[in-house]
Amino acid sequence: MSTNGTEMVKDAIYQACLNLDEQKWDDWLGQCDDGFEYSVTAYSPEIGKKMKYLGLDHKELKDYFDLLPKHNTDHSPLRRHATVYSVKVGDDGKTAEAVTSFLITQEMFDGVNAPLDTGENHLFVVGKYHDKLNIENGQAVFTERETRIHTRRLDKGSHWVF
Amino acid sequence: MPARNREQWEKTPDLKRGEWVDSRIYSDEEIFEEELQKIWKKAWIPLMHESELPEPFDFRTAIIAREPVIVVRGPDNEIRAFLNVCPHRGMAVDRRPAGSFLTGEPSGNAKHMTCMFHGWQFDMKGNCVEIPREQAGYQGRVTKQGQGLRRLRCETKFGGIVWVCLDDKVDCDVEGWAAGSLDCIRKSLDEEPLEIFHYHKAIIDCNYKLWHDTNSEFYHDYMHYHNRITGFDDGYFARKCAAFDNGHVNVGTFTVNYGEYEVADDRGELTFPHLPPNNWYMVDMFPGVNVNLRGSAVRMDLMTPLSANKVMIEFRGLGLKSDSDEVREKRIQHHNTIWGPFGRNLHEDLVGIAGQGVTMMPNSDPRRILHGRHEGLYIHDEVGMRHFYETWGKWMDRLPSDPSKKYEEGVVAGPEMPPARGIKSFPGKVAAE
Ligand code: FES
Ligand SMILES: [Fe+2]
Repeated sequence: MSTNGTEMVKDAIYQACLNLDEQKWDDWLGQCDDGFEYSVTAYSPEIGKKMKYLGLDHKELKDYFDLLPKHNTDHSPLRRHATVYSVKVGDDGKTAEAVTSFLITQEMFDGVNAPLDTGENHLFVVGKYHDKLNIENGQAVFTERETRIHTRRLDKGSHWVF
Repeated sequence: MPARNREQWEKTPDLKRGEWVDSRIYSDEEIFEEELQKIWKKAWIPLMHESELPEPFDFRTAIIAREPVIVVRGPDNEIRAFLNVCPHRGMAVDRRPAGSFLTGEPSGNAKHMTCMFHGWQFDMKGNCVEIPREQAGYQGRVTKQGQGLRRLRCETKFGGIVWVCLDDKVDCDVEGWAAGSLDCIRKSLDEEPLEIFHYHKAIIDCNYKLWHDTNSEFYHDYMHYHNRITGFDDGYFARKCAAFDNGHVNVGTFTVNYGEYEVADDRGELTFPHLPPNNWYMVDMFPGVNVNLRGSAVRMDLMTPLSANKVMIEFRGLGLKSDSDEVREKRIQHHNTIWGPFGRNLHEDLVGIAGQGVTMMPNSDPRRILHGRHEGLYIHDEVGMRHFYETWGKWMDRLPSDPSKKYEEGVVAGPEMPPARGIKSFPGKVAAE
């Protein structure tokens, strides 16, 4: 457990990656403030626009996660490789902003042709997390995450957030 | 029935011939190549929305049947399409997905399309305006006057959709091509300018027609949890399919009960002009286009067939150009809930066709794919696919249920096929080469 704000932010971001990799959705939501806002955005040079692919608040995310078991889905696990590039802690030490670069790989399972593909990993999505956090009680809590992706060829897409 | 041996498995089903197709139409490379020539090079294809090139000198590139296409907005605001092929030595005139010719490129001048290779330049009407050292090299044998780009037929129609046809001789305009299939949403699309807000794409290892089939049939709503749980009511089963000339179909409206979806709110206030609140129309246009107006947003899918077993699908979302930021945000949210890359339905639909692609790889054994549900043209009736393959059979001169045989009038759809309005008039619409 860190005492330094920057380290607390890094710990939170990396822990979030582990939770998301392991689909511990509730644990990830537990790292987020009640007023948490989540979005996935992308800039499209094809249409010259910044786009929003997903935008959910804390409650909507909870509903979204609760429904996941009811959907048919590609179950190929997604895993992040992330590096926190920058952390800026506010002057009062109570808020922070961070930018984290990530790659998400997909371990093929049942998405296409299992007997052939199973066990293959490929690059699925490239992007950056733009996070806002509160630092309170010795830990960093997410208040906002904008997941800016650079991938617009998403093929089958995903029921799992990035 | 117990599991079948090979002979039983291959037996002709107890359905009429138009009620199934042979899977080779989804997997055979020779048939695929023929489709590019006989269908994709002769159809009007809605390549993009005009808001993707909002300013003069903006351009966008695309592909139809392997032919590269460039669409340009001229200084006169007219949108024109050309083959994206330099008449000199065949370089793509521009390599970008989109951009502007307002500023010059390293090899050429502002307000011109410049082929970077040897610097030939073209204006926004496709005239060749510069051949470096023309006289020194060609001595009048090749001149700018004779080296314009290949202009393609292009119309901006139905809410600003940009349609392009590779064939100069096709005997209909976009109005005739649509054959009334878009009339149900025409007033909504045309009341005020639309603007694109969403774009993403998928490349899936399956035949393009499998995506079109999925868009055309609603029986697969069983796959979608929400549709199954909240959607299967009287209003849903009251929706009807209608067939139009040229292989198009649409599915009529019903009231979508969004209140029962957890991650959505009422869409009534954002409904498109002239559309009763929460109404929904789905238009499936031959050979691989889907226009879907659902309350507050338009979705448009364009398929670009890449091989017998590979298709690119581009997904677009459109709102009204006059939208405030707040309204636009709402439309985007509505769009994404179902149709976004994280939406409830789109992922499942794509997983579905990827699975079909696995069972119908090139040279796999032929099988029967059933299209035989009859439910009085109501929503789970598979008339949409039957109508599509009736048209496909005519254009290809092949029988969808046995593509090694020639098309026979009436055999494809079977006598219970509802009369497709005016379909018999169609073959005359494509002039012979
Ligand atoms: S190929 Fe275009 S200028 Fe030579
Ligand atoms: Fe679907």
